[in-house]
Amino acid sequence: MNHPQNKNLIELSNVTKSFTLASGTFQALKNVSLQIPKGQLIAITGKSGSGKSTLLNIIAGIDKPTQGSVSINGIQVEKLSESALATWRGKNVGVVFQFFQLLPTLTILENVMLPMDFCNSYPKRERRERALALLEQVNIKEQADKLPSTLSGGQQQRAAIARALANDPPIIIADEPTGNLDSQTAIAIFELFAALARSGKTVIIVTHEKDFSSYFENVIAIADGEIVNERVPA
Amino acid sequence: MQTRYYKVIRDLTSDYSKNFMLVLAIAVGVFGIGAILDGYSVIKREMTDNYKSTMPASATIEIEGKITKGLVDSVKQISGIAEAERHATLVARMKVGEKWYPLLLFIIDDFKEKRTNKAFYISGEREPVAGTMLVERTAFGLMQAKEGDELIIKTPNGTPQKIKLVGTVHDPGLAPAWQEQTGYGYITLSTLHLLGETTGFDQLRILVSENQDSKKHITEVAQTVAHRLEQAGYEVHEIQVPPPGKHPHQGQMSTVMTIFIIFSFLILILGSILVATSMATLMVKQVRQIGVMKTIGATSSQITGLYLLMITLLCVIALVIAIPLSRLAAAGFYNQIAVLLNLEIRNSSIPSWVVLLQIASGIFIPVIAAAFPVIRGSRISVRAALDNHGANQQNIHKNSWELKFSQLSFLSETFRLSIRNVFRLRSRLVMTLGLLAAGGAMFMTALNVSEAWNENLKRIYVQRLYDLEVRLNNSIQADSLLEEIKTIQGVSRAEGWSYSPTSVSKSNAFEVTQTYPDKGHGSFTMQALPVPTQLLKPTIVAGKWLNNNTANDVVLNQSSRGSLKVGDIVSFNLDGQVTQWNVIGFTEDVGSPAIAYVSLEVFSKLKNTQGQVKMLRIAYADRTKENAVRKNREVEALLERENISISAAIPVWLLQNAIAAHMKVLVNSLLAMAILMAFVGTLGLMSTMSMNILERTREIGVMRAIGATPTKIKNLIVWEGFFIGAMSIFLAVALSLILSTYLGRLIGNLSFRTPLTLTVSLLALGIWVLIIIVGSYVATLYPARRANKITTREALTYE
Repeated sequence: MNHPQNKNLIELSNVTKSFTLASGTFQALKNVSLQIPKGQLIAITGKSGSGKSTLLNIIAGIDKPTQGSVSINGIQVEKLSESALATWRGKNVGVVFQFFQLLPTLTILENVMLPMDFCNSYPKRERRERALALLEQVNIKEQADKLPSTLSGGQQQRAAIARALANDPPIIIADEPTGNLDSQTAIAIFELFAALARSGKTVIIVTHEKDFSSYFENVIAIADGEIVNERVPA
Repeated sequence: MQTRYYKVIRDLTSDYSKNFMLVLAIAVGVFGIGAILDGYSVIKREMTDNYKSTMPASATIEIEGKITKGLVDSVKQISGIAEAERHATLVARMKVGEKWYPLLLFIIDDFKEKRTNKAFYISGEREPVAGTMLVERTAFGLMQAKEGDELIIKTPNGTPQKIKLVGTVHDPGLAPAWQEQTGYGYITLSTLHLLGETTGFDQLRILVSENQDSKKHITEVAQTVAHRLEQAGYEVHEIQVPPPGKHPHQGQMSTVMTIFIIFSFLILILGSILVATSMATLMVKQVRQIGVMKTIGATSSQITGLYLLMITLLCVIALVIAIPLSRLAAAGFYNQIAVLLNLEIRNSSIPSWVVLLQIASGIFIPVIAAAFPVIRGSRISVRAALDNHGANQQNIHKNSWELKFSQLSFLSETFRLSIRNVFRLRSRLVMTLGLLAAGGAMFMTALNVSEAWNENLKRIYVQRLYDLEVRLNNSIQADSLLEEIKTIQGVSRAEGWSYSPTSVSKSNAFEVTQTYPDKGHGSFTMQALPVPTQLLKPTIVAGKWLNNNTANDVVLNQSSRGSLKVGDIVSFNLDGQVTQWNVIGFTEDVGSPAIAYVSLEVFSKLKNTQGQVKMLRIAYADRTKENAVRKNREVEALLERENISISAAIPVWLLQNAIAAHMKVLVNSLLAMAILMAFVGTLGLMSTMSMNILERTREIGVMRAIGATPTKIKNLIVWEGFFIGAMSIFLAVALSLILSTYLGRLIGNLSFRTPLTLTVSLLALGIWVLIIIVGSYVATLYPARRANKITTREALTYE
């Protein structure tokens, strides 16, 4: 996939990822090459075990490829140390999980402020205001001082998106972000992601939800560790 | 405050019971260390201050004849002498009820102007007039008397006389009377004469003006004085130089304190291992959160810092609780020790280094112990953290021995599964076993050593085949007397022995001993016995026992052995003459000061007292204390009828009581330590079992989903606890044997210069097994109940 009009933000070149299991070596990704331009909303689809989450983890710097290279915004991610990778990830990639993964003992506001604290990305006095602004952006500002367990699934996912945006990363990745939500809430969440893409973020979502294909500018289908299809929805 | 610290605080406050347990584990250790160190610092200072405040004489020179005031004044003029004083000490006897006890009489020249070995006034008269006596405060209990009462006293050459007890003093230089089973009285020379003695002051006490803590210097000055006395025509018997500035029980006290400090640190280390296991639990619980934090930008070091901060806060809370409590305990502790050492606590302030050490150890040891699981947990990769689903099967392989063991068909299905579960997380298993084994080993060691001590005490009766030792004032022909004693019903044997104070002879020097003014501590005696004797069964550790009654052979016990070896020739001073002896063996005596055993025949020849004895040793068929008390009365009545002058009558039961009293504090404190060990060990078991079950919440949900009943799940968990507990017992026993050997050696050598025999306390083993069984059951009950309480749906979705 190539979009000459946009600079490629993410470039994967011949990426292979193998895991050693008791039953032998398993290749989760096989020689995958991929370019993703800036500011798109992209879906990765595939059956369970096809390698889509592994691909997402490699893009997010959560996993390193066994072979091949991953360049994100010009940085060879696989060459970064664990510590440098953590800081890089904090500033460049916002991650949204299926089960939200908000820290249960922190309030919603504190959860959103936490990435700024770890990456020291904004002056201390600005962090609270920025977190509140992000919560407002995802429409849950009034829930700021509540603990995650008191919020609905949709509200928690909105909070998780606000947290993913905390350090203003150019890339947002989400693994089955609506898998645990009802359809109405799922629509609202996809609207949010679409708005983020429109604002210039590159949003990559692993999803099974076929009903939302209209939101995506590109859909990458994976089977048995290989990209089997890339298509631009009609 | 930075956002991440909110997480630390909230995590701390979100699980009170768990964190309370951690705080308790640290607090117990900090409390132990604080109580012991606080107590130690106060006692060490007060012991030295109390003792030094008595102005203990640097040396005592014993001479033949009476010391005049003029002589004292001339000695004061000698260079290097700060003070000189004449004095006398006499071992008399006092009658308490129907029993006779030794009574140490201090004959004071001038009560008003006492310059050395001062006793401090407490109440009553300050100066006893003729026929009255001041009493050391600890002696009233033994005397079963109070100020104003009268006490029957018999001196070696006198008849029993009533002496009024008119005042009370405190003498910090003396061990408590009840501990030594000896009374202490302070009288004037005229009272001594009233009691039937004709002697005068025969001891010259000197205080050196410089280098007061140098034994070498004191000995040199004392020898100079002794030379002058000889030149003036006096015969010098002995120079006594006790260890300068050191209380008679200082060595014993240091031993006890060293052991306590070691145990306290072990408790803290044990508590810290518990913290480490608990932190491992926390890290397991938080592994997803760690993954999330890393995903949003946290580095491993930031996460490590968060959890170490959490531990530090727990430590601070533990310190806040433990420090004041340890102060209270320390006060109880040093007051108790003060009673045991006859000290007066004049200043109870705790030095700042002790507080700083307590704080430092209370923070650093737990933090260091927890650092390993924290760092390991923090370094987990993001993917591993996010993919974590609790305990895995990676350690169970097809051919692993535990799998084969767990396939033994006679074991129940539940038990077999429990065994497999035990080995699933081996590093945690090692830590749990380490914690329990350490706790159990220390618990059993404390009781083993305590029992070894009691066994050692019993050896007093094994080695001493007599029940009463009677020391006479003069050597006598005792053949007919011994025959007469044997006619007393119940007397099985009686032998005539002899004895004399002695010291190793050095060329051109006077006899120098280390004897304290109480005549007991630091003394060295030559005991002469009929060869072969039937009333002593010594433990020979090298060479052989005396077997030739005409040879100049000597057998030394561990306190007199020094660096001598079998085959050496040694010179001993005996009544001013230098005598040569062949060292043929060494014994290990229980409860004896330094002794050199020689043949009575050779001894008598050297002293020119052939056919005479100065000590009687009598054995009874029935060795119980009750019988011994009755028989001792009959023997003493016989000696009185025969007009035999007795210096001291020492029943073996009295000796055993005295030795037991010396170490009572150690034994009791070891038991207290053992209880603390058991407590921390049980906490550890509970913590680990909770952690093991917590990790398998989802798995338990699966088991329930496929039909496991709550009872089955409970049994599975409880058996797992029992199995871990059982394994720990074997390790604990092995470890306790090693620890008991070393601790027994330390205590024995420092107290008696002989190691305690390794003793395995079956009671300790039984108690520990019981603690493990009950502890395992209780420890697994909560997680088992929790596992059954959570719904199957909740368990299956447990993250």
